[in-house]
Amino acid sequence: MIVRRVVVAILVGLTTTVALLTSACSNDEMQLRIFVASSLQDVLPELLDAYAADGQTFVTQYGGSQVLATQIELGAELDLFLAANLEQMTRIQAAGRVQRSTVFAANRLVIVVANDSPITSIEDLAQPGTRIAIGAPDVPVGALTRTALDALDPELAAAILENVATEDPNVRVALSRVELGEADAAFVYRTDLAAVRHGRAIELPPSLGVPVNLYIGAVIEGGRPGAEALLDFLASDAAQAIFANAGFQAAE
Amino acid sequence: MNARPLWVVLPALFGAFFLLPLLGLVWFALTDGDVAAEFGDGATWNALRLSLLTATLTLVLSLLLGTPLAYLLASSQATWARLAATLLDLPLVLPPVVSGIALLTVFGRRGYLGDPLAEAGITLSLTTTAVVMAQLFVAAPYYIRAAYAGFSAMDPRFQGVAYTLGLSPWRTFRSVTLPLVWPALAGGAVLCWTRALGELGATLLFAGSLPGRTQTMPLAILSAFESSAGLAGAVSISVVLVAFALAFMVLLHRMTTAGGAYR
Repeated sequence: MIVRRVVVAILVGLTTTVALLTSACSNDEMQLRIFVASSLQDVLPELLDAYAADGQTFVTQYGGSQVLATQIELGAELDLFLAANLEQMTRIQAAGRVQRSTVFAANRLVIVVANDSPITSIEDLAQPGTRIAIGAPDVPVGALTRTALDALDPELAAAILENVATEDPNVRVALSRVELGEADAAFVYRTDLAAVRHGRAIELPPSLGVPVNLYIGAVIEGGRPGAEALLDFLASDAAQAIFANAGFQAAE
Repeated sequence: MNARPLWVVLPALFGAFFLLPLLGLVWFALTDGDVAAEFGDGATWNALRLSLLTATLTLVLSLLLGTPLAYLLASSQATWARLAATLLDLPLVLPPVVSGIALLTVFGRRGYLGDPLAEAGITLSLTTTAVVMAQLFVAAPYYIRAAYAGFSAMDPRFQGVAYTLGLSPWRTFRSVTLPLVWPALAGGAVLCWTRALGELGATLLFAGSLPGRTQTMPLAILSAFESSAGLAGAVSISVVLVAFALAFMVLLHRMTTAGGAYR
């Protein structure tokens, strides 16, 4: 009898959980479901505040663009996808889920070092014993970093790569290495510096062609109305001023 | 009302809950991914070798250091021993990322022991040593917990009899205590090894992710997932890990059940 009571209790528990979970996914027509690349996490709330369309509410899910794109490929329900690179957009375009897309911002690659670091230029990264954190080769920031290094003198680039102590799965992890003092320098996006308390940026030499990363938004096929208007807003002057304030650049 | 069918159906459904996702993973990898390519990929082998090496080292260290610790704690009636046993469970509750940060606060370059370690010329973070330390911190408590439970459940009179028969403490431990607690130790060892093999969060934070040095299989899978290879790539590598973990677990199971007849 006790066993049966336990089973009943478990079943009741499960049913309640399922009921709670399903009720959490409400079907409000005025709610926009947005998937957002992690690097936009700090700036997006301000943008949404400024947008303030009547009665419009937002549900945002942050994550790495690749992870979000995978979820979209697998059929996640959403209205707007703000990705941190063009490649992911190509992927979900191939999956037939993009109605319209627009590039709305850009982000510059920089080197971040601790405030008290003796490092002042990219050449200093070649010093033996320097520990550098970069993104893994396939991760956008890692690919961009390697493109930048390729434009350097090959000997210097090799010496810098020799000092790489970790190839991190995303830019925030690489950034945290410098904050924790585990790495002396990391290649990150300009805007990531807003999240750093004890770090400063070293700009890359202009000769490297100022590697930038493009942000692109896509209205998802069959998504709710309102997604288009929000995407247009992101390209507007008002939104671009907020982007610039957060360290982003104009897309062109 | 006859409740029997429910008792067959429910456990079967529960079993399916574990089996189906694993089958799904393998099926997805075989249809969408390229498992054969991963098996032939040098980078995957590097990660696998590092994973097997570090997880096994973690297991050996857990056995060597954890067994006496668990025995000591289980044989003591003191309050501090119970408190210590509880504290050793704490890493089981901590999210691994927090464990990684905890290790950094002590052993990191700016950690509390960072300066003395640096003076001794020792750097731990972002090294292979750090991989083992992270796994040890996260996985050893599984072994210690099981061993502690085994030693605690043992009737101390058995040892008493052994002593009265004139056996030395070491001989008593080997011939009396060990055979009695063997199943608990073996079960804990399997848990410890598998948990070490799957360790991700603490390793990423404390040891970093550098192919050949600190990038274990879970980290390689995470990197693949975040890369353009995406899900298909990550799943393909996962299947390699699952295949090897399965083979090793079958092996461990054989060894430990053979040890059921420990003499």
